[in-house]
Amino acid sequence: MLALSNTDKKKIERIIRTMKKEYPEGTDPWGLNLELAEKTLKFLTPLYRSYFKVRLIGAEKIQNKSYVVISNHSGQIPIDAILISMAFLLDVESTHLIRPMVEKFMATLPFINKYASALGAVLGDRQNAHYLLERKQSILVFPEGVKGITKNSPDFYKVQDFTQGFYRMAATHQTAILPLAVIGAEEMYPFVIHASGLGKWMGLPSLPLSLNLLPLPSPIDIYIGDEFTPSDKENEKSIQHNVFLIEQQIKKMILLGLAKRRPFFDFIRKPISHFIIKEFRKKKP
Amino acid sequence: MKILIIGASGGLAQILIQILKSNEPDIQVLGIDNRSCENLFRAPGIEYIQMKYTRGNFENLFRHHEFNTVYHLARQTHTSHTNSIITQRMDFAMLGTARILELCELSGIQNLVFLSTFHVYGALSDNPVFISENAPLRASLQFPELRDVVEMDQLCEAWMWKNQGKIKTVLLRPCNIIGTQVNNTMTRYLSGPISVSPMDYSPHFQFLHEFDMANILYRSMKELPTGIYNIAADDFVSLEEAFKITKTRPLRIPMSMAAILNYGLKQVKLDLPDYLISYLRYSCLISNGAIKKVLGDNFLRFSTRDALGAIRLK
Repeated sequence: MLALSNTDKKKIERIIRTMKKEYPEGTDPWGLNLELAEKTLKFLTPLYRSYFKVRLIGAEKIQNKSYVVISNHSGQIPIDAILISMAFLLDVESTHLIRPMVEKFMATLPFINKYASALGAVLGDRQNAHYLLERKQSILVFPEGVKGITKNSPDFYKVQDFTQGFYRMAATHQTAILPLAVIGAEEMYPFVIHASGLGKWMGLPSLPLSLNLLPLPSPIDIYIGDEFTPSDKENEKSIQHNVFLIEQQIKKMILLGLAKRRPFFDFIRKPISHFIIKEFRKKKP
Repeated sequence: MKILIIGASGGLAQILIQILKSNEPDIQVLGIDNRSCENLFRAPGIEYIQMKYTRGNFENLFRHHEFNTVYHLARQTHTSHTNSIITQRMDFAMLGTARILELCELSGIQNLVFLSTFHVYGALSDNPVFISENAPLRASLQFPELRDVVEMDQLCEAWMWKNQGKIKTVLLRPCNIIGTQVNNTMTRYLSGPISVSPMDYSPHFQFLHEFDMANILYRSMKELPTGIYNIAADDFVSLEEAFKITKTRPLRIPMSMAAILNYGLKQVKLDLPDYLISYLRYSCLISNGAIKKVLGDNFLRFSTRDALGAIRLK
């Protein structure tokens, strides 16, 4: 069931061939490694197709140009970043490598750091973002930051306040902002409570306690919104206003996506979720 | 014109002296070192003194000679960890450098070229790619034993701005210098038949050929205005690729094991400096924009790959 189809195999080989024209050495300073990326893509694509059953809705809106891609963050572990990157490679007509900006903590993790970088992940640092946008590459930013990914079950799909850094970067480089929403990633770990105090004591950004260790096969839908290009005469007020509009657009896409979400063990997940939400609200009115 | 080279026995200083002599036949060079000065490049106008780096010796030197240019290329190795050596190293780095700079100012030299290192930036997980000269020097945050190189760099930088109008000072922060004449940890690491390689990380490196570095040192005196300059080629390689070029067999181990292994080697005094192990985890790539603005795009003869290829020519 989890086997790489011939079509996907050929597609991955074509993608790597195309990327080799841009990166003749097969690598870049941020750790992109086309040889390792090809192997990793071939390993992950069956999971992408058959386990998470990812659908990219609105792919026709993506043009062959540089973007600052903005998404809600969900799923406890940054699988959403990997799935978005894969969707842009596998399900978009033009070969579109987007570079997810990852947390500093991720860069310290053995193996994860190596494979994430090989697939294009970059440390979430402003200087890195500026270099990439200067080189006309696309970056993927989660403006909610760690707060977005470290939510307890009752707070699933509650979008946290956006930071404005992504907008300022897009304005500086006159790059279009492409908002998107990911639906389904929260259900990979449906029952989660964060032991924040213990996590801090251990020097971790968060410590999710979940009933399941491996992500469940929750179907993922990625909704592409309408792109927005900042003007070159932005001020504090306009930045604040436009970031708010982008945040609202993502919230709307999440509501739409939740209404159309594919069922996933709803008969058991929903009653338990409702119970957790009820209990949680009793404690935190 | 008389030139003082501190640390003249080193491989890099020796190449520099040859370049100086071939380009300026009338030049007078005085090379000093606390190591042996036998079997070094000799020619008319070139003199060596083996001496301890003490205040008295330096004062004598500046009293009896009138230098136009001073090259500060001396640095003590980080491979020994005994307390006395650490104290000696700190003393040389912080007090010794301060004394040399003070004497340079008093004697009225015209140029000072100070060789620092890119190690001052540190190999940290949150390093941006292409660190510029303005970046904070964070090496000693993680590795206190690197305090000497950071202190030396900062002392020189403060001195440079203080004497901005009077003395032309060039502070160079090169990436890994490798070659057949320099005898540093990175050259030894890459030229062995088998070397430890990280299984769980994939850091990138920039390498600089010793000839290029010596040439930049020479051109620093002539062409570079006062300032701080990172020195690196445009290209970079992953460690795996570097091993392929140098034909070194990688011994792949997880980096957590490398720390334990190094601890074991420490007991028999065969260890690598801990800070170098951090370079096997995280990249520390530096930008070369500042030097390119002055010397042009083709300021180096060898790329990173060429420098690696040349390491086997020994």
